[in-house]
Amino acid sequence: MTRKKRVNIYKAAKTTTFYIFVTGVLVAMLLPLYFIVSLSFLSTREAYRYPLPLLPTLTARFELTHGERGYLLSVYDRTTQKYQSVLDTNDLEKMSIYMKYQLATPITIEEIEREIAKLETQDVVYFSHGTNLLYNYETFFKVAGTGQAIPALIRSLEICALTILISLAIGGMAGYAFARYMFRGRDLLKFSVLFVRMFPGVAIAMPMVIILAKMGFYDEPIGLSLVYSVGSIALTVWITASIFMGIPVSLEEAAQVFGATKLQAFLRITLPLALPGLAACAMYAFLGAWNETVSAIILTMFKPTFSVVVYQTVLGAVGQVNLAAAGGMVMALPAVIFTFFLRRYINQMWGGVTV
Amino acid sequence: MWKKMREKAVPYLLILPVVLYYTAFWLRPVITAVIGSFTGADGQFTLHNFVMVFTEENFVPALRNTAVIVVFSVTLEFLVALFLALLINRKFVGSGIFLFLAMIPMALPAAAAGAMWITGLTAHGWINSLLYYLGILAEGKKIYWLAGSELSLLALLIVIDAWQVIPSVMIILLAGLQNMPEETQEAGYVFGGNYLTVLRKITLPMLRPTIQTAVILRLISAIQIWLIVVVLLGFSRLPVLVERVVYYSREVDQLYISYQMASGYTLIVSVIVSLAALAYLQVSGAFKRNKEQAV
Repeated sequence: MTRKKRVNIYKAAKTTTFYIFVTGVLVAMLLPLYFIVSLSFLSTREAYRYPLPLLPTLTARFELTHGERGYLLSVYDRTTQKYQSVLDTNDLEKMSIYMKYQLATPITIEEIEREIAKLETQDVVYFSHGTNLLYNYETFFKVAGTGQAIPALIRSLEICALTILISLAIGGMAGYAFARYMFRGRDLLKFSVLFVRMFPGVAIAMPMVIILAKMGFYDEPIGLSLVYSVGSIALTVWITASIFMGIPVSLEEAAQVFGATKLQAFLRITLPLALPGLAACAMYAFLGAWNETVSAIILTMFKPTFSVVVYQTVLGAVGQVNLAAAGGMVMALPAVIFTFFLRRYINQMWGGVTV
Repeated sequence: MWKKMREKAVPYLLILPVVLYYTAFWLRPVITAVIGSFTGADGQFTLHNFVMVFTEENFVPALRNTAVIVVFSVTLEFLVALFLALLINRKFVGSGIFLFLAMIPMALPAAAAGAMWITGLTAHGWINSLLYYLGILAEGKKIYWLAGSELSLLALLIVIDAWQVIPSVMIILLAGLQNMPEETQEAGYVFGGNYLTVLRKITLPMLRPTIQTAVILRLISAIQIWLIVVVLLGFSRLPVLVERVVYYSREVDQLYISYQMASGYTLIVSVIVSLAALAYLQVSGAFKRNKEQAV
């Protein structure tokens, strides 16, 4: 009885220690992510506070009094738990602009006038106003890369779509051949493809400047997708080969017995079964094209990709940390979402494949 | 007869597009690059381009910094990841979510990771704030992370890289550990081995293919580190190989030797990465299988 109890306690202690350990690892992994997420929602004033607030303000609290030059605006600071004077002016437009840009509080001049009217009867007016949490994101898309952010985003999506198309069409065919046929040079070809995949992208980007310029594709989305496809075709070949290998040939043969042609059997039987794997290939092609920066910097001039715009914003980050954070988050979002769907294919994420 | 020929041709026809594509967009650029790096401005064969690269003041530092980052980060990442994987190696509630969360750092695009660390490492950034909240930094004190010596900056880059990579290496090793049949380890214990002997004599040797794969693939991407270096320190402060490529092809692209310099650096990176890739193919048994088939 007591022995059993002791064993139970020992086991419970072990489990608890284990979970504490796992939680510790998680915290170490996620803390930096937490800060960048929270920073991307902070108002400019908050983003330059030290120490940095841990959470953005949802409702800004203000204090208005008569100042030396007009009206003295103070804003509540959670760290010090006091109101801090930020602006002394009688120009209400200036006040509204300040609140919008520095405090991420979209407030109209009329609203300010209404609060100021109360100063007639009382010395101090307290009021609060909801903040615009997405302010940094809106500003990022307006100003980043001198207004290039949205065109760059569209361009990047275009590049991703083209890359998916090229690599699925070309790589999928080869993958099917590797899975279903034995032929001379099969392994050599398959591993050559793998070698190409590991070859540094930047090494192709440099000479491609000249080649693409001759083709008229320099600084065009199609040019970059031609470069990105080199890597993603290889990955597609390997993934699709293993998918098609997992689908028994007998299914196709059965369909052919019932009068379907070989092509019909492939389209009706094999392709639907292979869809999840093909979707994974598409996501990898997307991520490869979406995340890439070096080739994009080398192969674009006036038409940067989204990753280049974010990179440039981050380079000038000291002047606008919250904007850089917002840009980084927009960049990271699709990557994280697709990773969720791809979590079974971890090995491929490395640029390698399970052999 | 014709039908049989056609049957035989099918796989080659299916592979033809890849071969054509790679000839046009991989082989051709590679050959162009190699020829270009041996050609002078006058179109004649020359080794002068490489002399220029090798004698550039930043070449030796770039090579050295890249080597330091690669060697130390890969070693550190592998050891910590193995340690974590051995400790976490068991089924537990929430392991699915844990594994997904562990993949996020690696999934982060380089530009996003750059944003994360530059906002953290400035004097009023989130790292100092965090240390302040934890009570490690006294009020009014700040650590100037990016103002340190070259050595401390290298250490910083290695730690940043480790944060991004360790969780993923851990997952790969975990997968390897969990695919291992339990009986083999149990047999080790039955024959009187303790944890360390079993680890050294059974678990690690069985994990070797997984380890080799993870380390070489990691090596390949570590050699190409550049964006985080530039975002944190700017160009030329702590030169690394790929950073030099971007520097010459974008930052000082008006220089008449820019293209030659960038090409030279690219070729060096390509050679190093190719060697690593060949090593990968070697350990994954690509060449062995070819030989078997030839016999």
